[in-house]
Order: sequence, then structure tokens, then C-alpha cells
Amino acid sequence: MTPLAISNVNPARRHFGDLERVIDEVHALFDHWENSGIFSPAFDEDKVQLMKLAIHEWLANLVQHAHFGSRIPEIRMDVTPNGKRVRCVIVDNSDGFDLGAYLTEKRAALPVLPERGMGLLMLDAATEYMNYHRDDDGCHRLEFSVSADQDPWLNIPF
Amino acid sequence: MQVTSMNFTVESWNQQTVVVHVGKALDFRNASDFKAACQEQVRAGVRNFVLDFSETGILDSTGLGSIFSLYRQVSPLDGQVVFAAVSRPVQVVVQLTRTYKVFRQFPSLDAAREAVK
Repeated sequence: MTPLAISNVNPARRHFGDLERVIDEVHALFDHWENSGIFSPAFDEDKVQLMKLAIHEWLANLVQHAHFGSRIPEIRMDVTPNGKRVRCVIVDNSDGFDLGAYLTEKRAALPVLPERGMGLLMLDAATEYMNYHRDDDGCHRLEFSVSADQDPWLNIPF
Repeated sequence: MQVTSMNFTVESWNQQTVVVHVGKALDFRNASDFKAACQEQVRAGVRNFVLDFSETGILDSTGLGSIFSLYRQVSPLDGQVVFAAVSRPVQVVVQLTRTYKVFRQFPSLDAAREAVK
């Protein structure tokens, strides 16, 4: 992957190579996309915010916890609006981890009013579909979608 | 009196109540600053925190966790944490996590001031 390359095929595709800046860049991109009207009217502002939150939580996890070894961190993000749904793919060159096991563990042991450990549970709750796997080239790929028809919620112990 | 601590401005309403103007973001990058600013207020005797989210574009899980931490600190002291002027991005987090069950919300700072005396 080439950092900061921009494809002409999909207006909502970006590469990121600077973990220090990726969060601010993604939020700025979403502001731009919202103003450009790339999302369907059926995918309302709340759902755009939900999608942005899901992406933020994944990137925050990458920034804080991912191991990249001696590699220069690279992240590629595709956001594809499709009517009432928006699909997102985030590919990175980190070592990856067992997301399913992590979510199972956190769901079973989330404390009352937790201070940490909610981020990926929020991502999971916000998404209609989510899949995470290792690609043939060794990169890790998160795919998920957010639907306008959902009213998602995360059960946090209060 | 106003005290600016990192990204947050803390405004004293009375001896026991402050409003924290959260600003553009409360997330994993500044949640520890938020906690430190609030803990300083608790040590000074403040028990009620009004969080002004009028300009907040980002509230993430770590930011929310820092608010939970504040709530755990002040609720045994008969204190409270309330939200005011909640922006759309913050409201989405509140809805997703159902935290409106824990934190009272007010449409404006004036409304919060009236309720939290």
C-alpha cells in the first residue's frame, strides 16, 4: 500500500500513513463527504455519525494497541454508500488479533460503568454486519456495514 | 472564575458546581486530561459537574469512560454529572449506550443551571 495515495475510482477511498493524524483526517473527510452529499438522504445524519463513531473506535484501537513490528503503519479505508446502507472496509498492515475472542471476553466481563473496554463493543453494536480476517498479502481487513434501518444499542451495566 | 486545563475550560458556578466546556473532542487522546481536570475540582470540594457539549464533534468510548469515572467519584458524595447542550455526535453515543439512563440532559446551560443548584 502507498500512504496518502488517492484513488479516482471511489470518491470515498483514502490511504493513511500517519497514526498521529489519522483520527483528525478521517473526521475531516467525513465532514467533507457529508457536505458533498455522498450519503443518501435515507442514511440520515445520525447514521452518518454512527458510521463515523464505528470507524473512529476501530482506528483508535489501531492507534493505541496495534503492533506493526518494523513496518511503517499503513491504513486504507473504503467507504461505499449504497442507499440505506454504508459499507466500510479498513485494511491495515498490523499483526492483527483475534477480534472474536476479544469481543466474547469483553461481553462476559464488562464491569459496571466501565472506564475502558467499550470501544470495540460499541463498534460491534453499531454495525449490522462485521467481519475481520487476514488477507493473503498478510494485511488485516475489517469489513462492516451500518444500516439506516437499525436502532442499535450496547448493553452497558449501570 | 474560569480555568482552562488543556482542552477544557472549567467555569465555576458556585462552591459545589462547575460547568466543564468540553470543546471539540473528548476521546482517547485527551480523556486523561479531562479526568485530571475533574479530579482537581473534586479535591477542591466540587460535587456537581455540568458537561457542556455544545461544541463537541467527537465523544468516543474512552471519553465516555472518563465521564463514568467522574460519576463513580461524585455520586457517593451526593454529587451529580449532567449533560447540557448535547451536540448530534454526542447524542448518537448517548443513544447507542443508553447513558441517558445515568446522566440527566438539559437543552441549554441555562436550563442546567436552573436544575442543578
